[in-house]
Amino acid sequence: MSLEITNAIVEAIPRFEGYVYPNESGTHPLWGFLIVLYPYITGLVAGAFIMASLVRVFRVKPLEPVYRLSLLTALAFLLCATLPLLFHLGHPERSFQIMITPHLTSPMAIFGFVYAWYLMAVLFLELWFDYREDFVEWSKTESGFRGILYRAFTLGVTDVSDKALALDHKLSWIISIVGIPSAFLLHGYVGFIFGSIKANPWWGNAIMPIIFILSAMVSGIALCVFNYMVLTWVRRRTLDLRCLDVMGMFLFYALVIDATVEALDWIHRAYSAEEGFHVMEYMAKERLFYTLSIGQVLVGTLIPLLLLGILQVLRKRIPDAVRKRMYFGSAVFILIGVLAMRWNVVMGGQFFSKSLRGVMSYKLEFAGVEGWFMGLILLSLPFIILTVLIKLFLAERLPTSGHVPHRMEGI
Amino acid sequence: MGNKLNPVGGGGWLPAGLASNQEADHMSRFKMPPQIFRLVLLTIGIVVSYLIARQLLTPASFRDFGFYRGAALEEVASRTPVYAGKKACDECHSEVLLKLAKGDHKTVSCETCHGVSQEHAGNPDITPVKLTGSHCIRCHEANPSRPAWFHQITVKNHYTGQKCTECHVPHQPNEVP
Amino acid sequence: MKFEFSRRRMLGAVSGALAGLLSAPAARAAKATVQKVFASSGAPNGYDPYKHKWLMCFDVDKCIGCGLCVDACKTENHVPQASHYFRTWIERYIIKKPKPGSDRTRGEVLVDSPNGGRDGFPPTVVPREEILKSFFVPKLCNLCEASPCTQVCPVGATFDTPDGAVLVDPNYCIGCGFCIQACPYGCRFLNPETKTAEKCNLCYHRITRGLKPACVEICPTEARIFGDLKNPVVDDPIQAFIQKNKVFSLKPHLGTEPRVMYANLDKEVR
Ligand code: SF4
Ligand code: SF4
Repeated sequence: MSLEITNAIVEAIPRFEGYVYPNESGTHPLWGFLIVLYPYITGLVAGAFIMASLVRVFRVKPLEPVYRLSLLTALAFLLCATLPLLFHLGHPERSFQIMITPHLTSPMAIFGFVYAWYLMAVLFLELWFDYREDFVEWSKTESGFRGILYRAFTLGVTDVSDKALALDHKLSWIISIVGIPSAFLLHGYVGFIFGSIKANPWWGNAIMPIIFILSAMVSGIALCVFNYMVLTWVRRRTLDLRCLDVMGMFLFYALVIDATVEALDWIHRAYSAEEGFHVMEYMAKERLFYTLSIGQVLVGTLIPLLLLGILQVLRKRIPDAVRKRMYFGSAVFILIGVLAMRWNVVMGGQFFSKSLRGVMSYKLEFAGVEGWFMGLILLSLPFIILTVLIKLFLAERLPTSGHVPHRMEGI
Repeated sequence: MGNKLNPVGGGGWLPAGLASNQEADHMSRFKMPPQIFRLVLLTIGIVVSYLIARQLLTPASFRDFGFYRGAALEEVASRTPVYAGKKACDECHSEVLLKLAKGDHKTVSCETCHGVSQEHAGNPDITPVKLTGSHCIRCHEANPSRPAWFHQITVKNHYTGQKCTECHVPHQPNEVP
Repeated sequence: MKFEFSRRRMLGAVSGALAGLLSAPAARAAKATVQKVFASSGAPNGYDPYKHKWLMCFDVDKCIGCGLCVDACKTENHVPQASHYFRTWIERYIIKKPKPGSDRTRGEVLVDSPNGGRDGFPPTVVPREEILKSFFVPKLCNLCEASPCTQVCPVGATFDTPDGAVLVDPNYCIGCGFCIQACPYGCRFLNPETKTAEKCNLCYHRITRGLKPACVEICPTEARIFGDLKNPVVDDPIQAFIQKNKVFSLKPHLGTEPRVMYANLDKEVR
């Protein structure tokens, strides 16, 4: 009964204004919240990895405390990155076909390989080389399940001579260097999945991959700030404020560049005002007001810019406790803002008709595969995985080898 | 040396059992660091299992015509048609079709008015749908969007209470009964 | 020495196996060119897709907006009944006169397609005096030469056939919806029952049997022109149509090169 009433109401509310193609006039967007999460999660992976490579490649010494944490964060999120894609498929059981018969002209098919490359050739390798010495050590000291696990992770290689370790360092440095373009590729590619849709003027845009990468860096660094602060808080340790300051600095610069490029994109769109600009403008004002003006611009960009900007200028004069709160606040705001940005891209592209004559209004449900609930589960999954990873690989009681990534003599 | 402790990880190209002790000395000439050896092995394992899986799982008719399952063409084509088509009607009702061909309704197909007739074509006892005047109006009611050449009436002014077919013969629209 | 020899042999064996695995699909492709005619039971026997090139075109001036074709398409192809699933649909364009005193050439453009035009079109609320002109435009898959839907499908579940149709393989489609996003003409939808992409396939099961597509069969005014570009007969309707008319296609700037062409099209149609 109640279902009938809701149905009746849904039928009664006009689902669109102007003209939209009949096939576009359904009650649901084709791609829902899950597809919003997909670029969000991949972006966090790419950003967290770039954060880690700041330490290894660019030798930013103060960031050492977060090196391993950022790598593990990248791994936890990468493991979940394809899940939203998988769940939204009409036939998830056929998804293996993407790997078996990949259509080489399809951005989505190539993503499978980009993903596999990034996961196995970059992230796993870098982590393995970084952790190898520790695995050998831990496999001797730990027993039971952990012992077996660490032994398995050594892959049977127990050579921890200085020569072997020097090689490890050298290799993981090379992998980091390969990893940076790979991370760009991974997330730029996600941008390309949207940017390649020339049928949709909101998406089909050469600058899309660049915007995706920039916002990914911003969100990834913010996530590392967030994770680092939460982890130290949970463990009741003292925060390394110097590390936090440096992260904040990088976050600020990344945000400035990101905001500038996105603004340029908008200016360009408005100035050239190509066919369909008016309907997009209307859509952005009517359908995306909360997520664009408030979420993305105000919460995600202006407020953090202000907070971080103040911190850059007045760092010395702000008391530590306030400083911490300000960093935490900016990180959270940025994480929300980038999520809003992904929403604006993915949903914005589906809020106006490809006939360029009308806009739709979709209602996002709570339940259902594409609903909020599912989305929230998926969003918390990487954090659960990260907790497990931290328990396994960043446990306080496990002594680490003490080598620091930047100190790589002989390279 | 690590490979002394653990001959399997010793980086030779052969498993320990196959490489005899004397050869172990030779091995140092081709020695590959143990980590790398393991990774190469792993990579080969992954690539080979991918290739085998690909071999096994690719549908047989894939790439028969292009980058798709060739069998799909026949599968899509094997659905049974619903509309019988004018040709099928012509087999029994050729005299009606001849009449029709002379008037303005010559472009109209039988099933446009009589509805789906596949069953009727297979079994004449099943009668096709009976049509009503609203069907005529669907096309002939005046509408500013219709092209000017098309014969239109404003039903309000035209309709005098009779059925359309009392004055017009659908099969010969140009004639008055 | 012995060892080196065995290493080489092992390498040889491994690379041989790899080469075999890699070349197997190519060998399969070579085998395939032999069998081209339909032979399986249920399929129209002996049909050779390489001997035809089907095409549908439209004469906008002939469409009377009865919507019978939309209904026929739904019936023939078991398209879901709801009002947002169509393989073909009719749009009504009403171009108003410019407001008095305005220096524009045309007024507002109103477009609608109630239930895809399936039930015909109710008389418009716009008074006749305000209408500059008005017409109906039938829409379906534009059979793009450079079809973006085929390009983006990750698994090759949508493809151009040798005989001119663009088909979806319902047994291979993974239902990702990428093709639906990529089609500039809104021709595709995700079938809620099969969870696969669906769109006009030129009634492939009919044309391979020598029948016309359902909409062409039912159209009372021959606004839909259908034929075979490889038909050796001189008076093939489609060949005659293309020869006689100046034609235009939809959204040409996107480079999809639609093969479906329209005669007497207005610039407002997208
Ligand atoms: S009109 Fe749409 S569905 Fe048809 S070939 Fe073009 S892109 Fe594909
Ligand atoms: S929905 Fe099906 S046909 Fe369309 S792109 Fe995805 S797999 Fe291909």
